[in-house]
Amino acid sequence: MDIDVSPLILNWQFILTGLGFTISLSLLSIILGAAIGIFGGVARTYGGPLLDTIVGVYVDLVRSIPVLAILVWTYFAFPLVIGESLTPFTGGVLALGVHLGAYITETIRAGLTSVRPGQMRAALALGMSRTQAIRTIILPQAVIRMLPPLGSLIVIAVKDSAIASVIAVPELLRQSQVLAGKTFRPFEIYTSAMLIYFLICYPTARMIDRIYRNLAPLGAS
Amino acid sequence: MSIRTETPTRPRIGSDAAPILSFDNVCKRYGSLDALAGVTFQVNRGEVVCLIGPSGSGKSTLLRCANALESIDSGRVLMDGRDVHDRRTDARNLRRRMGMVFQNFELFPHLTVLRNVAVGPTTVLRMPAAGAAARAMELLRKVGLGDKAAQYPAALSGGQQQRVAIARALAMQPDVMLFDEPTSALDPETIGEVLSVMKRLADEGMTMVVVTHEMDFAKRVGNWIVVFDHGKVVEQGPPRQVFEEPTIQRTRDFLSHLGWHGESLAASDLLVPAPSGSYEHRTSD
Amino acid sequence: MTLDWSVVWDNRWRLIAGAEMTILLTAITMMLALPGGLILALLRLSPLRAVRSATTWFVEFFRATPLILQIYWMFYVLPAAFDIRLSEFATALLGLTLNVSSFNSETFRAGIQSIRPGQWNAGLALGMSKPQVMRKIILPQATVRVLPALASTWVSLFKDTSLVSIIAVADLSYVALKIRSETYRVLEVLTAMAALYCLMGYPQAKLVDWLHRRLKVTE
Repeated sequence: MDIDVSPLILNWQFILTGLGFTISLSLLSIILGAAIGIFGGVARTYGGPLLDTIVGVYVDLVRSIPVLAILVWTYFAFPLVIGESLTPFTGGVLALGVHLGAYITETIRAGLTSVRPGQMRAALALGMSRTQAIRTIILPQAVIRMLPPLGSLIVIAVKDSAIASVIAVPELLRQSQVLAGKTFRPFEIYTSAMLIYFLICYPTARMIDRIYRNLAPLGAS
Repeated sequence: MSIRTETPTRPRIGSDAAPILSFDNVCKRYGSLDALAGVTFQVNRGEVVCLIGPSGSGKSTLLRCANALESIDSGRVLMDGRDVHDRRTDARNLRRRMGMVFQNFELFPHLTVLRNVAVGPTTVLRMPAAGAAARAMELLRKVGLGDKAAQYPAALSGGQQQRVAIARALAMQPDVMLFDEPTSALDPETIGEVLSVMKRLADEGMTMVVVTHEMDFAKRVGNWIVVFDHGKVVEQGPPRQVFEEPTIQRTRDFLSHLGWHGESLAASDLLVPAPSGSYEHRTSD
Repeated sequence: MTLDWSVVWDNRWRLIAGAEMTILLTAITMMLALPGGLILALLRLSPLRAVRSATTWFVEFFRATPLILQIYWMFYVLPAAFDIRLSEFATALLGLTLNVSSFNSETFRAGIQSIRPGQWNAGLALGMSKPQVMRKIILPQATVRVLPALASTWVSLFKDTSLVSIIAVADLSYVALKIRSETYRVLEVLTAMAALYCLMGYPQAKLVDWLHRRLKVTE
């Protein structure tokens, strides 16, 4: 088998654009997911039965539908509901963020409930409001404790961003498909794409592990 | 069982005649369990009131009812004349004025020792960070832990953590300090350092309510002893009376169960005398 | 906007066939990936350093790259670069199995490591060989511990099978997307697709929650 890397060298900018989209799509969906997840986790834990039920339905719904189905629904069907078309990128961020948000919600909730009740009591005894206590005392500990699962979710977010290729977001996988189709060098191109994903995901996972090992005692009340 | 209902006359400690904290027939139920079955007693300004009695007799529950961490089913808790459990009362305002120290310290593990002490003033009193840090540092020195300010709680011994917890409560400049079995979770060798900090605090005139199993402390530092059993106050009075001549059989049983036989305290010297001018405890190491 | 849900009803048999393919893929993949994961986990405990590190990299690579890309790779690269020609279904199965085996191997490894070393010593002290201890003492205990994690992987796999639609395996996603492009009833068909996944996935997710609660580490 002959290996020809010239398509990669000639089209490095095309691939780099894809990488840029992969990174920005991942980051924005993580930010959206984190916002949803923190709100959802706090709401489920402290928001009373009604909020718990509502957020619970969202979580269960998202957990039982493939991210591909959420992506195509958001990009193709959702615009018909709101009467406004979405760009692939916006649709991708929205779908991936909402998908990720459900998992972050459950993780944050598990973290919040694992902090022992005495911490809330101690914060309240100082005169803090429940909101202050959650924000400054409980939530930081919950996040530290849940760093390993949150780290896995970040890696999953990067990997899931590749599925946005099906709605033609010009991210790394999509660009690779286009290039592979043009140059007929699928081995070189798909293998390189694979390596790039690996070089993003693997160090990210290791880095989060390391951060957690350093922070773990701070979350152990 | 005969329960003495009238309160014996008590020595006035502070100049203020009005009680700062009073419990009036407080009742609390957990399901079918009467955690508190009509508790009545008062805490006057400047007093050290020690709550003693068997485990599960309601002492800790009562303490949590004092600053509305737990609700009550009936009765009243008055702090400085204001009903703690009244719907219109801002519980947070009252809690600021009652420092609380927990059995398990409950330091915030993600904050440094200094930030643990400063977090109350900065978040609740909206004190500028620098001022709060200065106050925190001063209090840490007072409890003898100035050198631990930058550490995280996990690096401290139990006794040190509890002293930080006391400093944290003091940082709010409370009128009353509530201690919930502050030495029960400690190794025997570190109990002394916490008790001596508490004794210095009492000597400075701090009003204190102390749930404790440390009878030496109750006898030597307490001005008023309240004996709990099954959610009720079975006896209360000055330490000499409660410890030397308990009128109630339950009190006698409880004290003898703890190995207390009413002998004079002069010989037993569990409390380590603290050096003057600071709460610093001389550790042997 | 007018909705016409009859398109879903008219195509019900195709959708059901797609759902059957989804379930079939999930079941066959898991059947292959359980022994696959176990083999990988045992290889990572091998006394040979080269075997250990090769297996580790294999597993880490499959875990740290997107499944959708793995499927594309198998689909385009195997025939083009290695002249290995598989049907779409076999390609899908290969991609899913390698991916899930990698995840399962981590689950098994964690399960095996969670058994106290005293259990090894106790088995060896009875005169058992190492493989005997592994088979008779360690694995039965580890199985109970890994069950919740395997169940979670099952649910992920069930959803991930949707990705094989990109190489034209006629699973629920592929069928639904095809009906969409034939009928242009986008909202109806895609909502039905999500609802069908939900209908099948929800009981599974709840079952997993139950398993997690039920089997919460018992020593």
